[in-house]
Amino acid sequence: MSDNLMVQGVQALKALGLNYAFVLDDMERQAFVRGLGVSLQLCLLTIPGSLVVGVLLAAMLTSGRAWLAHPARAFVEVTRNTPTLVQLYCAFLVLNMLITQQLRDWGAGPNPLTPFIWVVIVVSLHKGVFHAEALRAGIESVPATTLEAARSLGFSRRQLLLRVQLPLALRFALPSLVNNLVDLVKMTAVASAIAVGDVTYQSIMIWTQRDNVLELLLLILLWFGLLTWLLSLAGRWLEQRLRMPGYGQ
Amino acid sequence: MRQHSAYSRSIARPLTGVAAALTLLAGTAHADATLDKIKQRGKVTIGVLVNGGPFGSIDPNTQQLVGWNPELARAVAKGLGVEADLVQVQTATRVQFLQAGKVDLLIASMELNPDRAEILGYAPTPFYRVGGAAAVRKDSGITQWADLRGKPVCVSQGSSFAKPLSTEYGAQVQGYKSSSDSLLALRGGNCVAAVHDSTLIHPLVNKNPEWSQYAAPIASEILPAPSVVWTRKGEADTIAAVDKVVQEWHRSGWLIAAEKRVGIAPANPFLVEQQAKLKTAAR
Repeated sequence: MSDNLMVQGVQALKALGLNYAFVLDDMERQAFVRGLGVSLQLCLLTIPGSLVVGVLLAAMLTSGRAWLAHPARAFVEVTRNTPTLVQLYCAFLVLNMLITQQLRDWGAGPNPLTPFIWVVIVVSLHKGVFHAEALRAGIESVPATTLEAARSLGFSRRQLLLRVQLPLALRFALPSLVNNLVDLVKMTAVASAIAVGDVTYQSIMIWTQRDNVLELLLLILLWFGLLTWLLSLAGRWLEQRLRMPGYGQ
Repeated sequence: MRQHSAYSRSIARPLTGVAAALTLLAGTAHADATLDKIKQRGKVTIGVLVNGGPFGSIDPNTQQLVGWNPELARAVAKGLGVEADLVQVQTATRVQFLQAGKVDLLIASMELNPDRAEILGYAPTPFYRVGGAAAVRKDSGITQWADLRGKPVCVSQGSSFAKPLSTEYGAQVQGYKSSSDSLLALRGGNCVAAVHDSTLIHPLVNKNPEWSQYAAPIASEILPAPSVVWTRKGEADTIAAVDKVVQEWHRSGWLIAAEKRVGIAPANPFLVEQQAKLKTAAR
């Protein structure tokens, strides 16, 4: 029944000059659907991952303690100023190989770090740096009088950050954060470079055999379009929800 | 109501654009103007794959493309009586270069298979035959293709070995951007074997001291397939002209000499077979 429908759909598209015959091949269709899932998984892991990294780095940057702020600043500059793909290659092809060899020399068994985990780590760190800068802008825009008022109430440094600065900074930084996250969703396509089976990778594997590049690129476009659209919807909803009359807007 | 029609018009316009683009893409099958154009310009643009080693590399002194693929490309141009314009292509995008008209011919270590034959044209006389070999760690215990079942195997994206490895031998195929990435992934322990053209694997594990921990223990080659010169679909005149050149290479023994000159070892028995076949056919 559904097979029939697929055959008809493929034929209808073929008449338009689009070759979607791969959906009739069980293995390729399943691989593609799996790819859609893996892309989604990457997003669901790297979004919270990058936000945690961002908050930690922003806290370090604005801590006022040199031994925290300086290393954080160095990390931000290095990470922000090198391409993600290069970082991924360095991490996966170089660092990972050294780890594997070291573990083998110690007889500690196989390396537990998979390409998938490396992508999550690298993308989270890379985007976390951008979040940190957005949050720093938010933290630094909290009026000095507000901080003074909080301090006069006996707030400790940590309470000040968690209860006053971050909540206000979040509202201030939200548009930039959502912007960064949209970029992050698109960035997950770098996973294809190291054979993580995301939608881009599965498409490349299919089109290098069938050469239906246009057809698959249209699907990739739609999928990433859908993901980023959902994200911006969520962002706008959050902005509405967190809106504080009289502050910012 | 008015709003609705404005909406449908704004949708319709980009769609016509897409349709026009599609017609352009699909419309490569008409009369063969390519050969005329090549003769007219006095120049043929050929896409070559250059991924290091004797099959194609860049001479560090002269910045010239050297090796098997570039030599053949220059010889094709000479055979057609025109100048050669060599363009480097990548495995994953070479077909797009040909289809988009950036190159007229492909000599890019691209073997003949039915899927490709459906969308592209090719000179039917193959100039070489290449199969896949697997590089594995010496302590891996792998001795035959069936040992790869269920294990991660590295290939490069666009490799024709991906399909037989996963369907016939049940391996978990992982495709990397290039063969060098795939080989690094093998060294990183991300796969138990890296499968590439035997012409890449054998020199590596036999000659390179960095690869002393690795070997190519599987005796048979996977998917031995003929390498051909690719054209766009339906360009009969170009195909005929190129095929004549390739046949002449076999007959004159030029290919056997070229293989030796660029340093491909061991020599491929296919070239001798093909020469004998063409000589008997001529008699």
